[in-house]
Amino acid sequence: MPREAEVSVNERAFILEALQENIRLDGRAFDAFRSLELRFGDEYGVADVQLGKTRVIARISVDVTVPPPERKFDGVFQIVAEFSPMASPAFEIGRPTDAEVILSRILEKAIRRSNALDTESLCIIAGLKCFALRADVHIIDHDGGLIDASCIAVMAALQHFRRPDVVVEGEKATILSVREREPIPLSILHQPLCVTFSYYEEEEIFLVDANLAEEQVRQGEVIVTMNRHGEVCQVAKYGGATIDPLAILNCNNIALQKVKDLSKLIQKRLEEDAKQRDVGGLLAELSAENERPMEPPVG
Amino acid sequence: MGPQAVLSHLHRADGSATYAQNGYSIIGSVNGPIEVLRRDELPEEATIEVNIRPAIGVGSPKERHLETLIHNTLRSIILTRSIPRTLLQITLQVRSLPEEDASTGVSTSLTLLPHLLNTALLSLLSASIPLSTIVTSVLLAIPANTSTPVCSPDPKELLRAKPIRSIHVFAFSGDRRLLLNESDGTFSYDEWEEACELAEDVCCKEEGGVGLGEGMEVDGPQDNMESWLRDVVKRKVEQEQRWRTAD
Amino acid sequence: MSASAIVVLPGDEIPSAQLPKPTNKKKTLTLGPGLRHIPPETITTTIAGALVTDARKNAAWIEYNSGRYMPSVGDLIIATVNNSTGEAFNCFITPNTPQAALPHLAFEGATRKTRPVLPPNSLVYARITNSGRDSIPEVTCVDSSTGKSEGLGPLKGGMVFKISLGMARRLLSGRKGGVTVLEGLSEKMGFEVAVGRNGVLWVDGGSVKTTLAVGKAIQEVDEQALGEKGQKKVVDKVLRGV
Repeated sequence: MPREAEVSVNERAFILEALQENIRLDGRAFDAFRSLELRFGDEYGVADVQLGKTRVIARISVDVTVPPPERKFDGVFQIVAEFSPMASPAFEIGRPTDAEVILSRILEKAIRRSNALDTESLCIIAGLKCFALRADVHIIDHDGGLIDASCIAVMAALQHFRRPDVVVEGEKATILSVREREPIPLSILHQPLCVTFSYYEEEEIFLVDANLAEEQVRQGEVIVTMNRHGEVCQVAKYGGATIDPLAILNCNNIALQKVKDLSKLIQKRLEEDAKQRDVGGLLAELSAENERPMEPPVG
Repeated sequence: MGPQAVLSHLHRADGSATYAQNGYSIIGSVNGPIEVLRRDELPEEATIEVNIRPAIGVGSPKERHLETLIHNTLRSIILTRSIPRTLLQITLQVRSLPEEDASTGVSTSLTLLPHLLNTALLSLLSASIPLSTIVTSVLLAIPANTSTPVCSPDPKELLRAKPIRSIHVFAFSGDRRLLLNESDGTFSYDEWEEACELAEDVCCKEEGGVGLGEGMEVDGPQDNMESWLRDVVKRKVEQEQRWRTAD
Repeated sequence: MSASAIVVLPGDEIPSAQLPKPTNKKKTLTLGPGLRHIPPETITTTIAGALVTDARKNAAWIEYNSGRYMPSVGDLIIATVNNSTGEAFNCFITPNTPQAALPHLAFEGATRKTRPVLPPNSLVYARITNSGRDSIPEVTCVDSSTGKSEGLGPLKGGMVFKISLGMARRLLSGRKGGVTVLEGLSEKMGFEVAVGRNGVLWVDGGSVKTTLAVGKAIQEVDEQALGEKGQKKVVDKVLRGV
């Protein structure tokens, strides 16, 4: 059974000693993210996130399906994050590691259960037809911080995605192709983002966005998900040493600042991308949004 | 336009490449030679594992079929006997497909296959895995209204030329051996032969022409796969040797 | 070697004109990494890179700087101890590869009673003594002819930094490698380094700051492929920071 290479005793001692002296190996402040690059693909709904050396691609796709009988007025939304050996030889296809299970679970709680996406807007004909939205998360390069990077990628991709428009006449629904009608954005209710805190030395030291080596020597982690209004979506702490409730409150305060910064960056990139696509302002004329005023995202 | 390639850009994998052509974009990575699981161990040669990950979803029989084809082709060029009882992990992640991919009316596994093979080779070169030769691959289509094959058609071209009578994927080794052929549709033997010859011209450099060393100066015809590959490797070497000329 | 190096792809035949012309006729031709001999007289390449020849040693090899480190006899490496069995420590030379054996007695002055205790995940600086493809690699921390450690042995303290295989080769090849940054730094700082051909650099500068400064400087020279002038700038920058 392949496993992740362990960090040597020398590295462990050195990283911890450096932290005692307020030094991180890459020279960052304790509460700083690595440099974040966000790029969008040519297609709608593809976000390519590079966080330091970690790289994650999220892709949104849509299909039409029959809604589950217990939720007739909802669409289907699914997030799939499967590791591949590309990110590490320790990842085996079809045999999820703990990290993979935790990542899927956090994304599920952070994005799906916090109702970031208005799934009711995916309903076409109640009980008969709805859109099934799928977010595929591909881990391309792994240097720690997968949860934060994946969450940024999925949220950015959701906001970038455009679904085809649909015309309903009675029980007949016609999906209009991209050529016939400009596709429309999803209705995003708010934008939850994850900030992972790694703690060391009996919770004296908290690091934001630890890289892989820092992750390997930490005592434990706290993952806080919130939107830029400070609404906490979930807080998770898996195993490791105990933690003081006050420390979690402190994490929340730092997380809020980080989430605000990240949201701003995502917004900026989305606007830049929209400007690039909209050469000569043609899109505004073609857009179907004029006919059907969309509610501005609340989040 | 020739394909674009970036080599060795991932940090974790031993070798990696991103390849893009005609709207297809694929990221490839190679880990190895690494420790192989007992159950997969081969006493005399290396075990090759190919994983194809589609852009959407997690692998279907289509990907499994492509994996088998690529596995068999690569097995004939990797010097597996020089690294016995090890594992080579090849992962090919489809990053994006052209918008028209599904509407051209031809097999989407065949249109993807040459790009996957080319990406796999680039990743192997980046990982410096011992190979007996190289492999280059190309797609050809024969439209219904003409019998002249179109070489590595853009999906838009395929749409315009619709209906397509047959499509063919060829892969050639550096010494002009045909390593793989997959054909789909109706075609005569003559047509297949013509397509095969055309593919050989595109994949391999002219026979008995320029010798080693000279080929580097001239790029040759832009659409020759072998000179394209040489160019990619030349850039890789230049990048690695930068320090020798830097001041 | 100039910028117009001969770039080869796997399977290229090397014509005899490209091979070194030996000064000493008796010396047999030595083929290094990336070349193979197909009897009777064909020499072909197996990896992509630049062809390098050395007429004095009558040797030819392919230089490349990507991929996983492959053990080769005589190479100095920094290995990570995984566990200890009856006779030897099992070490990783690179992650996820078959483990190399480091005999308990392969240390300076080690006897059955006084063998070193190395807990899992400690580092050792060692030389490869066997790398046959049909057996597990073996490494040693002692020079068998002198019985002395010659600088090999367990690495205590300090920190390891990842460097490219090419950089490791350059650091170990002395003046030819063109790495001047360590000399420059040593004028004002005291530190110890150990270079592993497996792409690992160990640095101990006594303090966190010094160790980091040295390790980062080497990584910067590596990543940006700096020449002499560039390295001087790095040295100045680091020394100013101290």
